[in-house]
Amino acid sequence: MELLIQSLIYGILIGGLYAIIGIGMTLIMGVLGIINLAHGQLMMVAMYITWILWQYASIDPYMSIFITIPIVFLLGQGISKFLLFPLIKKESILPENQVLMTVGIGMVLVEFARSLFASDYRSVRTGYSESSIHLGNISLHVPLVIAFVIAVIFTFALFVLLMKTDLGRSIRATAQDREAATLMGVSAKKITIFTYGLGSALVATAGVLLLPVYYLFPDVGPVFTVKAFVITILGGLGSPIGAIAGGLVLGIAETFGATYISMGYRDAVGLVIFILVLVFMPGGLKQLTKI
Amino acid sequence: MNYSKIFHVLFVIILFVFGLSNCSDDNGPIKIGVLLPLTGSQANFGEMEKNSYEMVKEKINSEGGINGRQLLFVYEDDTGKPDIGRTGAEKLINIDKVPLITGGYSSSVTFAACAVAQQYRTPFLVNTGSVDKITQPSEFNLTENDGDKFYIYRLNPPVSEYTSGLESLLSEVVKPASVFILHENTSFGSEGAESFKNICEKNNVKILDVKSYSAGAIDFKPLLQNAKNTKPDIVYMISYVMDAALLMKQSREIGFMPKLFVGAGAGYTMPAFKENAGIASEMVLSVTLWHQTLPIEGALEYYNNYIKKYGGEGPDYHGAEAYAAAQVVVDVLKRCDNDYTPEKIKSTLDKTDINTVFGRVKFSSYNGKLHQNKMSTYVVQWIDGQLKLVWPENLSNAVFSYPIDWNQVWK
Repeated sequence: MELLIQSLIYGILIGGLYAIIGIGMTLIMGVLGIINLAHGQLMMVAMYITWILWQYASIDPYMSIFITIPIVFLLGQGISKFLLFPLIKKESILPENQVLMTVGIGMVLVEFARSLFASDYRSVRTGYSESSIHLGNISLHVPLVIAFVIAVIFTFALFVLLMKTDLGRSIRATAQDREAATLMGVSAKKITIFTYGLGSALVATAGVLLLPVYYLFPDVGPVFTVKAFVITILGGLGSPIGAIAGGLVLGIAETFGATYISMGYRDAVGLVIFILVLVFMPGGLKQLTKI
Repeated sequence: MNYSKIFHVLFVIILFVFGLSNCSDDNGPIKIGVLLPLTGSQANFGEMEKNSYEMVKEKINSEGGINGRQLLFVYEDDTGKPDIGRTGAEKLINIDKVPLITGGYSSSVTFAACAVAQQYRTPFLVNTGSVDKITQPSEFNLTENDGDKFYIYRLNPPVSEYTSGLESLLSEVVKPASVFILHENTSFGSEGAESFKNICEKNNVKILDVKSYSAGAIDFKPLLQNAKNTKPDIVYMISYVMDAALLMKQSREIGFMPKLFVGAGAGYTMPAFKENAGIASEMVLSVTLWHQTLPIEGALEYYNNYIKKYGGEGPDYHGAEAYAAAQVVVDVLKRCDNDYTPEKIKSTLDKTDINTVFGRVKFSSYNGKLHQNKMSTYVVQWIDGQLKLVWPENLSNAVFSYPIDWNQVWK
């Protein structure tokens, strides 16, 4: 029973991180209509910024959120303004080409990181990065708990933005029907660029939160791009609530798989769930939440 | 038609006739292919090996090259994936026309690339890929008597022999009653686990469980919690470097304290393991194939030169393997009598017997393997942040620290 509760807690904590990785991709999917294959690579950039701030300026990884996220937000805006939007504007260019563009951007980011930092592995070590809280026989890893709490706060803030502000309504309107939104006076260009920036900022948050529990090297991104993709499909394309559900389902499934089947099948468990959802709920988990 | 045109036509005909030969430029550099993971999650190892190859190349070229010709290593990035490794080997053979390939880091990539080398009859000198089947001719539809048709040579010991040094330490000093084996689910991991299981059975050590994991996980705690509940005497782990660091960090977190943590080389001897695991790396034991303080001529010199050139903590056995492979390449090319064809290089490799920084290299056949270099292995331990050689006792430069009070070490 203890093992069950412990696994469930591990799963939810990891799932929270997965969710915030997935939400960014699903937002971009909703508004730009493309899968952002540079998603994990943007996360890698955020991790490097956090690492530099920790290594050279002794800034705590969690405090660096205030520096890292704006930088990656601006980077995302720049990418979408100068590299992606020119492709979206021309209708003759297929959406596939924009996706290919994100692949290229991802590669450039990785190789740029490699040229600066070589392929060495980096990690941050803080006073709390290896500490745990014990509740009876259940142990909670402090950085994962902090990460989960911050992820929840950011997700909540995102929902306030999407549901309660004009900007958020414009984003949702553009995602639902780009042309109608444009006719209603929404600047599709502005929203497109902003959304890519927002998606980048969200995955940057995930990167900052992940660094104290994981490690960093130039190729760390692609694995998380795939995870984000799986979560986006699990949740139903373009649905932030679906992405949260998708992230939690994936986190819990992986942890239970690792505990009760074998950790060797960690990825297989996630992908089996992925197939099951595609077969029985082709619209993703958002079918259950209706948002 | 002027002479130069006639010459060119003749030249093309000659090239055509000697299709496989690559003497297209008799004065240009001698090109040797090197297959390594230079990007991807194993790039850290690939980089260390590439640096070591470059050290030999620069040394030889500054001394006037090989029979007056410069040496050139053509690197191909296998990214740690078998399919890319195959393509890389094909490119080296068919486009770069190298007469010899060396390198080969991960077992699965190396095995895939070896199949290509065997198919194109180009010698492949493996320096790290350690799964046993790489030098088993039966895997390539050959028999042990087919040495002349078998193009694979291996400088490093196969994974089943990694634990030969550890075995005596366990049976003579530690005498564990039970063991829990953790390994990554690759061919290197599963074969390593299998051979360690055999050793345990031979020495009457109870195997509590053997669990695999896929590399790159964030959270190993479910696995470690399972292991902790079985209360093993020792934990044997086969992992690459960052999985190794996370396994140790998370063991410390959940207070998993067996008598001994033993790593199977690979990640556990890398400087990056200590840098990233921090205090959790302390007192971890590992198998190793080499240590700079071993009484091998040039070993310490190589280690110091590496630090002088590239900085950092210095190479572990992976770097020494690569340096030694480059030394073998140079030795072979020097003995080739200016005939740099795959066949000539192969026959020269057969007669190789030199001392490298990694020890003596001589290819022999035993236990169903062909062209396999036989070596001893050793045991190292991280003591006060330094990788110390602790076994065999007569070669050690530090005392094996045991038993270990983890509460004290991890404080």
